[in-house]
Amino acid sequence: MKRRTFLVGTGAAAATAVIGSPIALAQRNPNELIWADQLPGGLDPHALFDVPMQGYMVNVYDTLYAYEGNPPKLVPWLATGHTVSEDGLTWTFKLNDNVKFHDGSALTAEDVVWSFQRLLGIKRGAASAFLPVLDPANVTAPDKTTVVFKLKHAYVPFLSAVPLVAILNRRVIEPNVKDNDWGTAWLASNSAGSGVYVLDPETYRPVQQADLKRNPNHFKGWGHNASPVELVRRRNISETTTRINALIKGEIDATDSYLPTDQVERVMKSKTATVSQDESMRVMVLRMNNRKAPFDNVNYRQALSHAFNYKGFISGVLKDYAVRNAGPIPANLWGAPKDLPPYDYNLDKAKELLAKAKAEGAPIDRPIEIHIQQHLAQTTQAAQILQQDLRRIGVTLNIIPNLWPQLVSSTAKPETTPDMWVHWVSTYFVDPENWIGQMYDSSFHGTWKASCWYKNEKVDKLLQEARRLSDQAKRTALYEEASRIIVAEAADIWIYNTIELRGLSNRVKGFQFTPVGSGANFRIISTTG
Amino acid sequence: MTLFILRRLLLALPALFGLLVLTFVMLRVLPHDPSAALAGENATPEQIAAVRKAYGFDEPVWKQFVIYVGQVARADLGNSIISNRPVTSDIAWRLPATIELTFVALLFAALVGIPLGTMAAVWHNSPFDHLMRIVTVGGLAIASFWFAIILQIVFSMDLGWLPLRSRYPEGLPPPTDITGLYLVDSLLTLRFDKFWAAFQHIIMPAFTLSLGGLASIARFTRAGVLETMQKDFVHYAEAAGYARKRIIWVYVLRNSVVAATTQIGLLFGALVSSAVAVEAIFDWPGVGSYAVSAILTSDYKAVLAVTLVIGVIYAIVNIVVDVVHAMLDPRVAENP
Repeated sequence: MKRRTFLVGTGAAAATAVIGSPIALAQRNPNELIWADQLPGGLDPHALFDVPMQGYMVNVYDTLYAYEGNPPKLVPWLATGHTVSEDGLTWTFKLNDNVKFHDGSALTAEDVVWSFQRLLGIKRGAASAFLPVLDPANVTAPDKTTVVFKLKHAYVPFLSAVPLVAILNRRVIEPNVKDNDWGTAWLASNSAGSGVYVLDPETYRPVQQADLKRNPNHFKGWGHNASPVELVRRRNISETTTRINALIKGEIDATDSYLPTDQVERVMKSKTATVSQDESMRVMVLRMNNRKAPFDNVNYRQALSHAFNYKGFISGVLKDYAVRNAGPIPANLWGAPKDLPPYDYNLDKAKELLAKAKAEGAPIDRPIEIHIQQHLAQTTQAAQILQQDLRRIGVTLNIIPNLWPQLVSSTAKPETTPDMWVHWVSTYFVDPENWIGQMYDSSFHGTWKASCWYKNEKVDKLLQEARRLSDQAKRTALYEEASRIIVAEAADIWIYNTIELRGLSNRVKGFQFTPVGSGANFRIISTTG
Repeated sequence: MTLFILRRLLLALPALFGLLVLTFVMLRVLPHDPSAALAGENATPEQIAAVRKAYGFDEPVWKQFVIYVGQVARADLGNSIISNRPVTSDIAWRLPATIELTFVALLFAALVGIPLGTMAAVWHNSPFDHLMRIVTVGGLAIASFWFAIILQIVFSMDLGWLPLRSRYPEGLPPPTDITGLYLVDSLLTLRFDKFWAAFQHIIMPAFTLSLGGLASIARFTRAGVLETMQKDFVHYAEAAGYARKRIIWVYVLRNSVVAATTQIGLLFGALVSSAVAVEAIFDWPGVGSYAVSAILTSDYKAVLAVTLVIGVIYAIVNIVVDVVHAMLDPRVAENP
C-alpha cells in the first residue's frame, strides 16, 4: 500500500468514526436527576442567603417550619408546633424527637439553639431578619425537644422568617472551626444537616457542580414518593442557549426558573420537555431615590410612573409571562389591596404632572440616571423602554450598566444611591413585611430594599403596628392602607409580579412550585425512564 | 543559551508585577466593594462596616496591596470572598481544562492553518488564494459565540454527532487524574475509550476557539512563504532541478517557520484569554467561566488570581517561544 493511500485511508476512517457514530451519551439512570440551576456562591446556609441558596437549603437542611405549595403554606417541619405568649414576645417550639442528622446523631433543641446563635454570631445572610428582635442569649432549650425564643419586642413575621434558618449539626462543625470562624470556611464546601439529600463534598466545584445523594433516613420518611430520586446532579450551565438545548436534547432534566420568554414556545414545542409556568411572588421595581431632586417631588415621581409602557413591556417583551402588579406587595399575597388601580401608561398625564412639578420648582430638566444590572437583559429592556418615552416628554434618562454588589453598596447613603435602579424583590419569607415592610419603613434606610429613601411617618406607624399585631385581618387592613399611600405618592415604579418559567424534562414527575426555593424540592420529585 | 533563558525569566518578573499592580489598583480603586452584598439581606450599615473590616477593605489601598503581594509571594492567592474557599484550589481544578482546550485549539489551528497558508502562497492570486482570503478574513471576523451556537445546532442538536456541552459524559468517571488533561491522562492509562469520550467533547469547543488563530496562522504563513519564495536559494534549488513540492514543503516552509512559531506562541496567550466565551457556551469547566462568575460577584481575590495565572501562562509561553526562536535562529540568542 502506498503511503499516501494509507494516510488517506486512515484519515477517512478516523473522520467517519468521529462524525459517523452518534455519541453514546452516558446512560441516564432512571433515578438520577440533572438539575441545571444556579448554585449558591458558597454552601454555608448561614453565610449566604439568596434564591440559589434557598434551592440548596431546602434539600440539604431542615428548618423549624417550612413552606409548601403555591400559594405557599407555612407548615411545621422539625417542629411539631409552636405557641406564642400573649404579649407576642415568647415563642416556644416543640420539636420532633425522631430527627437524625446525616451522621446519625440526634437533632435536639440544643442544635436549634446553637444554629440560631451561629447565625446571629456570623451576622451574615439571613441574620438581618433576626438581629433587630433577637439576642443570641435569648434562644434557650429547656429540654431536648423544646426551644424558646424571647424577642426584644413583638414581631409577628418571626414565624414566617423561621424557615430562613437551617439547623446545623454542631458536632460536625465544631471540630472544623478555625480562628473563631464558626466553621464558615469548612461549611463553605461541606454540609452538616439533616435534610432529605446529602451533599457529596467530593463532587462539589464552586459555581459549577455538586451532587446530592438521597438521605433514606430522613425523619419525614419516603412513603409519599414511591420512586424517589437517588442522585441529584446540580449543574450550573451559565449560557441560556446551551441550557435550553441540553434540556431539549434530554441531557438535563431542569433549567433555571427564569427562561427567556422567547424560548418558552420552543421548549413547549419539543417532544422532550415542557415549561412549568407558576405565578411567583417576585416583584420587579424601578427604584426612585426620593431624596434627590427632582425625585423628591411627588408630581415628578407620578409623571415617571405614568411614562412607563407597562403593557408594551409585559406583552411585547415578556409575551405576557408576567402579571401587572399595582404596588409593592405581590398581588397574590394578602395585604395587597385588590381594588388598587395600577398606574397607567399615559404620556399626556405625565406631561401635565411634569409641568406641575416644574411649577413647584423641581429641576425637571436635569438629566437623570437609571442603573441596570448589566448581565440581566430585562433590566436593560425596561430601562430602554422608559428612556424612549421619557425622551418624548422632554426628560433625558441615561442608562448606566452596573453590577449587584456595587449597587447594593451604593444604597447605604442617599447621596450615593442612584437616581433610579432596577431590581426584583423575591420571596425570602412569605409575609408583606418582606416587601412593603422592609422597603418603605424608614427604619430600614441604608439597606438595598429601602433604597428609595421614602419617608412618611404615617406609613412608618402603620408598618410598625402591622408587625406587632397577631390578627391577620387587622394586619391586612394596615398593609392595604400603607400600600394605598405609598402608591399614591409614587415612591417607586412597580411593574409586575413574576411568572417563573422553569424548563422541565418530561422525565420529571411530581414537580410542585413554591416561591421559596422556586420548586427545587427534590423530596417530592421522581423520574421516569 | 542559559544566560538568554535566565535573562528572559528575569524580564518576565517585572511584567508580572506590573500586571499585579494594574489589576489590583483597577479592582480596588474603582467602586467595587462587595461588602454590602456579602453582609446579606437587609444588612444595616453597621453590619456592612463589620464585613468591610473583617475583609480588610477598610485599610488603605496601598496596605491592602502590600498584604496581597506578601501572600502571592508565599503562593497564597487568598480565599474567595464569596465561596470562602482557597482560590488556588478552585483554579487548580479548572486550569487543566482551559489549557487542554487551548492546546487542542492551537494544534488544530497550526495543523490546518500552516498548510492552507502555504497553499495560498504557492497558488497566490489564484481562485484558491481568493477563497482562502475570504475564509481567513471570515475566520477573524466571525463572532465565536455565534459560530459556537451554529455548530451546536448542526452537529449536536440536528445530526447528533457530537456532544452539546461539558468536558466529559455526565455520570461517567473521568480518566485517572495525572496531569488533569483528560486526553493525556486517558492515553497514559491506556484508556482509549475515555480518550475517545474526551476527544468527542473537545472537538466543537476547540474548533470554535481555533478559528481566529487558524485564520491568523494561515495569513501569516502565506506572507512568510511568499517572502521566502523570492529568496535566491529557492531559485537555485529550482535551477538545480529539485522537485517543486520538495522545495516548498521542506526548504521554503522550514525557512518560514520562525515567524509562524512566534505567531503560535502569541496566539496561545490570546486563546487562553478568549476561551471565556467558548467555555461559557460549551459549558466547559475552565477558568473562563470561573472568571466571569467572579467578576459578576465582585470576588476580587478570584479575579486577581485568574488574571495573574493567565499572565504567568502568557509569560511562560512567551519565554518558550523566545527559546525556540533562538534555537531555530541562533542569531537571536547572540543579539537578544
